[in-house]
Amino acid sequence: MKSEQTDFEREIAQLLVSSLNLALDPVSIDPEAPLFREGLGLDSIDMLEIALAISQHYGIQMRSDDPENATIFASLRALAAAIKARRA
Amino acid sequence: MARAWFEKRERGSGWGIRIARTLALALGRRTGRALLWPITAYFFCFLPEGRAGLRRYYEALDGRRPSRRTVFAHYLTFARTILDRAYLLARHRDAPPYEIRGFEAVIPCLERGRGAVLLGAHLGSFEAARAAASLRPQLKVQVIMNVGVSRKLNEALAALDPAAQDSILSLGGAASLLRVKEILAEGGLVGLMGDRPLGGEPTYEARFLGRTARFPLGPLRLAATLQVPVFFFTALYRGAASGACRYELVFEPLCDPAPEAALRGEWMRRLGERYVETLQAYCRVAPDNWFNFYDFWQVQDGGPPRGSAPGDGGDDRVGGRAPMERSDASQDVGARGER
Repeated sequence: MKSEQTDFEREIAQLLVSSLNLALDPVSIDPEAPLFREGLGLDSIDMLEIALAISQHYGIQMRSDDPENATIFASLRALAAAIKARRA
Repeated sequence: MARAWFEKRERGSGWGIRIARTLALALGRRTGRALLWPITAYFFCFLPEGRAGLRRYYEALDGRRPSRRTVFAHYLTFARTILDRAYLLARHRDAPPYEIRGFEAVIPCLERGRGAVLLGAHLGSFEAARAAASLRPQLKVQVIMNVGVSRKLNEALAALDPAAQDSILSLGGAASLLRVKEILAEGGLVGLMGDRPLGGEPTYEARFLGRTARFPLGPLRLAATLQVPVFFFTALYRGAASGACRYELVFEPLCDPAPEAALRGEWMRRLGERYVETLQAYCRVAPDNWFNFYDFWQVQDGGPPRGSAPGDGGDDRVGGRAPMERSDASQDVGARGER
């Protein structure tokens, strides 16, 4: 069962689609689905692209030595939550 | 079909390499080079696939079958560059001299907030460059490579210069690519290899020495994402029978920084084209520096499927991409090679 995107998740979904130039409706991204591999099928270069877009839009620097790197990009939901937490 | 290079077991055992390293440094380069003859003869005799791969290469390059002598000399050049890595990394008095060409164009990239990508190949000795870079205290060079294949050799050499080991980043997941971005932001240089595709990795096709070959798309995508200038880079071994050799470090501009995402398809196509052209030109300058000892034109997509490596906890291949819809033209670059 697909869960609904929150407003902020939709905003992030739009950022993903535009920065990666995906032929995909942002609303159709399941917020719980994995972004990488079997989920959206993104890879580590895409992740870098997303990290750069996020730092540009939200002024949040993702660091290579951040122990949370593995979980931040787990899903759209996790990513949105991490951005929210860091902006606060 | 030729086995892909990454499936090949590294030749030589770990302790053998360590003994060789110790001997090489203790005996000096002259003796070290003399010892390379029997060692090279051994590998020449027992690595027929390497010989066949080189024959294909010389046929493409010269249009005729190379003599055994040419192929043997090629093996010997490879052995010599490996031996020199030991002297260069240990900063041994016998370390060979090197010249640098084209570096002026790179200098403006060394300021904070800039950086550049060096797109190299298994042509010449990328290692010589790393060692040379460590002689310039201000210069930060990070090489991203698939260290798995020559792990034993790398470990033995790393013991000589731990700092140099720090400058090799294994092909890796997310965190290592963020590290790459940080290095660039500090005005560093990031080295990528653009010639050998990993199994199953998306590739693009290009005419290389008159025949269609496949090159990995990942390095082009990474260079596009990083949005910094891209230079072709090689460290050619220019030897003489007398042993009076030198390395020629060559930097050649390939592309300005990539544009925004929507326009990158064309940029990557141009980068791929220029890269392959430049690579080809340097193969002609120094034919015996080609260190892909397999049939370069035979490598096909279809290695291990994505995500088949258990427990690696992330997508670990630069450039690995699952089939999915993309609206941009970059797909063209990849799609040409995949169909």
